[in-house]
Formats: sequence, C-alpha cells, structure tokens
Amino acid sequence: MVTLAIAKQTLEDMLRRKILLILLIVAVAMIALGPSVGFLSPRESSAVLRSLGLAVILLAGLLITVLTGIQVIPTEIERRTVYTVLSKPVQRYEFVLGKFLGGLFTVFVMIASMGIVFIGVLRYQEGRFATEMIQGVMMTFFQMTLLGALAIFFSTFATPVVNFFLSFGLFIVGNMSAVTESLLNNKNVATRLIAGAVHYAIPNFGNFNIQNKLIHPQVVIKDMNVFIMQNIAYALIYSAVLLLLAIIVFDRREV
Amino acid sequence: MAAAVSIQGLTKTYLDVWSKTEIRAVDNLTLEVEEGEIFGFLGRNGAGKTTTIKMLLGLIFPTLGTATVLGKPIGDTDAKAQVSYLPEEAYFYEGMTGWDTMDFYARLFRIPEPKRSERIRQCLKDVFLDESAWRRPIRGYSKGMRQRIGIAQALINDPKLLFLDEPTSGLDPIAHAELREIIVNVGRQGKTVFLSSHQLPDVELTCSRVAIIHRGKLLTSGKTQELTAGDKVEITFSGGDAALAEKVKAVAGTCEAKNGTCRVPAVDPQKVNDIVDLIRGAKASVVSVVPHRRTLEEVFVDTVMKAGAN
Ligand SMILES: Nc1ncnc2c1ncn2[C@@H]1O[C@H](COP(=O)(O)OP(=O)(O)O)[C@@H](O)[C@H]1O
Ligand SMILES: [Mg+2]
Repeated sequence: MVTLAIAKQTLEDMLRRKILLILLIVAVAMIALGPSVGFLSPRESSAVLRSLGLAVILLAGLLITVLTGIQVIPTEIERRTVYTVLSKPVQRYEFVLGKFLGGLFTVFVMIASMGIVFIGVLRYQEGRFATEMIQGVMMTFFQMTLLGALAIFFSTFATPVVNFFLSFGLFIVGNMSAVTESLLNNKNVATRLIAGAVHYAIPNFGNFNIQNKLIHPQVVIKDMNVFIMQNIAYALIYSAVLLLLAIIVFDRREV
Repeated sequence: MAAAVSIQGLTKTYLDVWSKTEIRAVDNLTLEVEEGEIFGFLGRNGAGKTTTIKMLLGLIFPTLGTATVLGKPIGDTDAKAQVSYLPEEAYFYEGMTGWDTMDFYARLFRIPEPKRSERIRQCLKDVFLDESAWRRPIRGYSKGMRQRIGIAQALINDPKLLFLDEPTSGLDPIAHAELREIIVNVGRQGKTVFLSSHQLPDVELTCSRVAIIHRGKLLTSGKTQELTAGDKVEITFSGGDAALAEKVKAVAGTCEAKNGTCRVPAVDPQKVNDIVDLIRGAKASVVSVVPHRRTLEEVFVDTVMKAGAN
C-alpha cells in the first residue's frame, strides 16, 4: 500500500510535466500524419507507417524513460520532499520500488497512448489488427522497463547528468547485443573476453528490437511467442537485480 | 517516566572537501527528553539542531553514538508510526492540492478509509487552514499556509512525539502567534514535542525544558523555570536615612535611592536576611523581596557567549 501510494504520487507528478505532454502530442502527430505525406501507394504507405510508428514509439519511449528514470529519486532529494516521506513508517526499499513503479506507470501510460493511436491508424490503413505490431510495441515497453531499472539504479549514486549519459551509453552498447554475441566466437582471446564481458554484463537491449524481423518477414524466428516470453523474462529478472542493487545502495545513502 | 528520546554520545562529522578539515556538526551529544514535555532544542544557526533531528529520524547516520526514539532504536518502523516531523522548511509536491498532500501522507501511515478522510478534515481544521484552500495546489499557498499544512501533516497520525524544526521562523506576527498556540495545544494533549528553535520568547512561553547547543556541543539543559530563575534577589525598601543606605551598600554592593524608595537590584540569596535585618533595625519598611528572573534570551546569550570565549 505504501509502495503503491508512492507510485501513484510519482505518476501524477510526472504527468503534470508539460514536457511529457508535448512529447506525446508530437509523437502521436507523427504517427497519425506520417503516412499521408507524399504520394504513396496504399502498400508503401502501410510499410512507412509500420516502421515509422515503431521508431517513433521507441524514440519517444526512450526519452520519457530516461528523463523519468534519472530524476524521480534525485528530485525528491533535491526538493527535500524525501525528508517527510522517509521520516514516516516507510522502508527505504518501499520508497525505491514506489519511485520505480511510478516511473514505469508513466512510461506505460505514454507508450500505451502512442501504441493505441499507432494500432488504430494501422487498422484504418490495412483494415485489420496488426498483432505483430502490438507485439512490437509490447517489446518496446519491456525494453524500457529494463532501461528504467538501469536509470533508477544509477540515480541512487550518480547525478542526473552523469546518469543521462551512462544510461544512454549503455542503451546503445546494449543494442549491439547481436554484434557482441557474434564476437563471442572470435579467434582472438582478448576480443572474446571483452565481447563476453560486454555481452553478459550490459543488458542486451538489442534482443527487444524485433521491429526489423517484423518489417522484414523473411528473417525467421522459430517460435515468436517463445522468443517474446524469453525476452520478457530476461527484462523482468534483469530489472529485479538492478532494483535490488538500487535498494542496497539507497539503504546506505544519506538524504 | 520513560524517555521519549534518549541520546547517548551522538556525533556527526562531515569532511569539508575544500579545507580537508573535519566539521563536527554534532559533537558527543547526550540528552534525554521525557514523555509529555515540550522540549526546546536551542542553538544558533549552524549549531547542529537539524543534523541531530535528521539523525534521530534515520535520514542521516551518526558517526558515533546511539539514540532511542520512543524506546526503539533509530529507524524502527513501529516507533516511526508514532512519530512525526516538520522539516525546517516545509517541502511539498507543489502541484498537489492540500487535501491530496494530506491523503498521500496518511496513506504512508497506512490509515484506511473512511478514517483517513476524517483525520485529514480534523487536522486541516486544527491548524485553521482555510477550507477554500484545501482543493488548491500548494504552489499557490502563502508561507503561513504552508506551515499550517506542514503541521497538519505532522498531526495526521495522532503522533506521540513530534519533531518540529524551527516551525515559527519567517512567519508574520499573527501567523506566528497562531502557530505557537497550535503547538501549546499539541502539548496539552499529552504529546511530546521536540522543538528546535532560536525564537527564544516562543520557547520561553511554550517549553517546559530546554537544552542549548553550540557548535554541536551541549552547553546546558534544564527546566526553563530553573534556568531563567536568577541567582540574585531584588530588594526594595522605603524610609531609612542615608546611613542605612550606606550600610546596605556595604553588604550588597549597590543601593539606589530614588524618591524615598531604595532599590537593591542584585543581592546574593545568602545576604537577604542580613539586609532585611538592617532595614528593619533602622525602622524602615521592606516593600518587596523579589527573586530576579532572567529572560531565556539573557540565559541563552550568556551561555553561548561564555562558550564562545573559550
Ligand atoms: N551535508 C553536510 N555537509 C557538510 N556540512 C554540513 C552538512 N550538513 C550540515 N553541515 C554543517 O553542520 C553544521 C550544523 O548544521 P545544522 O544541523 O543544519 O545546524 P542548525 O540546524 O542548528 O542551524 C553546520 O556548520 C553545517 O554547515
Ligand atoms: Mg536547522
């Protein structure tokens, strides 16, 4: 109950920020209007919409997740609202979890809003529900869950600016998970070691990018459902570990 | 009676990054606050008041020493359920309304509905926050209104022990007086109040016991009455001639004659009988024998100046 109260407060606080509203409006406008620009055949227009929609959702989701994740805890400390909260019968782990969940709800609301518009426009364009696109949006959400947990972890000891670059940097490196995976079989031992370290220590954000596979159906995945479930499990377990670390650090932190 | 707060050798040091020296924000502080008293924790700016309170609430951690709050170690959740805190400046989520702020804090105390709404209403009324402001965002509140809602949130759990960090500083005289009244009321309900302040007239009016800290160190503590009770007595008498005045002056050191009345401002208690005997022996009449009271401000200035000289 305490955790949820903190999450609710965090969500409401974030949703009052104009920057998120602006982001949402821009993203939705791009998704809704993108395909109608230029002279495109219905087929082309649908292909544009598919890649544009997922890309916009990813980009907006990325900004929202990082902006939220790096600031929910530091803002409390900077504005000293944390004094009143932590002097109440609130455990520090409840505070960290509440802040994380509040940020996650924010990201969920934003991605879900964009996703609904995207799927709706696509339904209008193609005359059917594109299930695989729903899966794509869902994967973006879990990818952001993992990124959010990473930003929350860094936020327990790094300043928001440092955290911004750390989170973004690791997101980019983690997106090359296919590359690091292929390097695991490299002949050079040093390359293998470095690739291994990077591959296993940094979250494999790349695994969630099923967009390409959806947009180019020739890439075969044996079982899409299994693949998705694996990725969700990966995101949840890795996030749990990051949150645990965040709690351990925050428990010792003076506010 | 049980101690509401018991502090043993509490110390907090900070490392000054520039000069590489150690700052002792709180230095080997030992202190007891009894249940049910309004306790004044006095000190100049930077004396270590806030640091002490933050340690007692588990927001920062002591370098040395221990403390118990309501008989439990620092940070104990059961104890925290019966404690509340008004930070030095009341900090709020600016976009939230007064009511929602109270609702949020009530949830942190796990107060269920419908009791939650009842408590919120009661507390907002107790601090005289205008009802038209309840549903407005705190962003638009005046300093006085913020302080009221700050106190209201500190009352929401009907606490046994309140930590109020300089609650009256920066308020206009009316808001100031009202807030002091609220604090006295809280004390009448049998709650323990740990009041950090340097508004000495307030403290003198409200606190039954005080401690003075300076540069992190405890200088003195005791009942307000006893601290302000001077060790001197003032005697006035009328009648008597210049010879009497001279005799009294010889014993007491001074004797100011004016319009046929003589005033002996600061007499050692042991000499009172001698002087009274002198007066009566000369057939003059004693008008008054009054123990000298010092204001808390005088006590504070004296104590701190003496410590500063060392
Ligand atoms: N985080 C900190 N780092 C370094 N010095 C600090 C810190 N917090 C407080 N201090 C120092 O500790 C001393 C006591 O501060 P404080 O407890 O806020 O005093 P008060 O509340 O009595 O005005 C001051 O000298 C202050 O500068
Ligand atoms: Mg202070």
